[in-house]
Amino acid sequence: MMQVSLLGVAAYMPETEVGNEAFADGAGERRGMFTAPKTRRWVGREETAASMIEKACGTLSQRLDLDFARDVDIIFTNVAVPDQAFTGCGADVAHRIGAKPRWVVDLHNTGCVSFIYMIELARAIMSANDARGALLCTVQNAAGRVFSNPAVRSSSQSPVPGDGCGVGFVAAGDVAPIVSLVHRVHPGNASDMVAYADDGRHYWEPGLSPILLGFTPERVASIIERGNRMVPDMVMEACVAAGVDHRELDLLVTNQPNPIFLRNWREALELPAERHHDTYARYGNLFGAGIPVNLDDALAQGKLAPGALVGLGGFAHAGDYTAAAVMRWRADR
Amino acid sequence: MNDPGRVEAIAGMVRMETHDREALGELITEMTHTVYRHEEVYGQYCTVVTHIDCPARDVFDYMADPRSLPEWTYSVRSLRPTARPGLLVGRDGKDTPIYCRTVSNAEAMTVDYHCAWDQGDELWMVYLNRVVPAPLVLGRPGAVVVWTNCRHPYYDANPFPERAPEQRREWVGDWWPLFYAGHAIELRNLKVLLEHRHRHGLPIAPRDVPGAEP
Repeated sequence: MMQVSLLGVAAYMPETEVGNEAFADGAGERRGMFTAPKTRRWVGREETAASMIEKACGTLSQRLDLDFARDVDIIFTNVAVPDQAFTGCGADVAHRIGAKPRWVVDLHNTGCVSFIYMIELARAIMSANDARGALLCTVQNAAGRVFSNPAVRSSSQSPVPGDGCGVGFVAAGDVAPIVSLVHRVHPGNASDMVAYADDGRHYWEPGLSPILLGFTPERVASIIERGNRMVPDMVMEACVAAGVDHRELDLLVTNQPNPIFLRNWREALELPAERHHDTYARYGNLFGAGIPVNLDDALAQGKLAPGALVGLGGFAHAGDYTAAAVMRWRADR
Repeated sequence: MNDPGRVEAIAGMVRMETHDREALGELITEMTHTVYRHEEVYGQYCTVVTHIDCPARDVFDYMADPRSLPEWTYSVRSLRPTARPGLLVGRDGKDTPIYCRTVSNAEAMTVDYHCAWDQGDELWMVYLNRVVPAPLVLGRPGAVVVWTNCRHPYYDANPFPERAPEQRREWVGDWWPLFYAGHAIELRNLKVLLEHRHRHGLPIAPRDVPGAEP
């Protein structure tokens, strides 16, 4: 398969910062799977996923000196709560940034690991065609659009999600090579996360009851067990494929469902906390935006050194998709 | 010489006659990791162990009395006799019937709770406990309690779904992945309770738990 590189990332975070006073009393003291971040961002009612991507892309194009019309052959998007019911926002993004892609792929799967999955799809499309540049766009907007609802704010899981947008640019070449990438679908876990309303209405049926996202209660223990296990397994598999020892990773960046998973993953991979960078305390669970936002934050904080060996990994939803990659960050910045 | 049961004839064993120190060294270094997956350690068997600063005989007597269960377990309550001698029934949590037969051996200081949710005909949730005098194994006063559960296939699928309370969706086995933590918490309850009574010179035996029906 063609050698591709992740040349850079950028983030856009919505302005509205929300503290734990917005939720049920004692939300800030919860531990375990519902450990609240200190703060998180919420998208406003009028803020679209496409506009968030547009803002992040503005930063990205400056950083990488990109000409979207010339450089972008493929646009991928993954949006937690899509702007429109019937279609994704990739074409709208292309219009806003002046890109002329031949492929627009609005992914509605792989949630929290969509960024890694997009790298793999970019590599596959580039290997089979003459495409050379891919824009990867991830948006988490479920916090503002779902969990800010006054009727669901008091639920245990409402403080956990936070909104944000992360984008990345993948191009053919070996400037910042993806050394290995593994991904796997786990069909048996597909139905363990559900969107539901307490009164039983389907989300497309008219009604006033709020929609919630949650795990099937009787599967919670199993989801914790598989979450703990799958991510280190995949990162180790990617490391084996890359011919490196997982303890040699200079930086590990994962999705960030909660601090317990983060702790367990780095313990399993025998990495000290400072080499597993996350933004959970500030931004909460960023779903698919977690990996690029954390990469961007690591870069800003000087934790992503030129030439660093970086591990990416995570799992989606209730464990229906897992992925990991090992890459060498570019040596020139 | 031709006894097929003699030890030399049995494949798959590691003894110095077949594995010298070097071969053994290779094996044990391979088997020794810095980190073990939770599933590897607790996937099929779940053992929790603690030291309790209370004499082993007192610990054994307390555990061998099933009325202690409503005191130190998280959610077993209201144990009362059934028509079958030695078989008790109570509730686990809000509305799940739990049946329990206690099988103890005073000489070996083993206390096994043979339990099941929903029915008392087949007691397959077996909690194996062994109480060991701590002076013997740790050179200090008190007792060591070793508690093991084995993952019976019924944990993975309820064999008697028709016996379950109508409203209940979960099954005891759904929680197997969290058994280590759950049992460690209950064993800590046992330790805290027994150390409290022993330290203050109080009677060790279980009391009637308030609010529990007879």
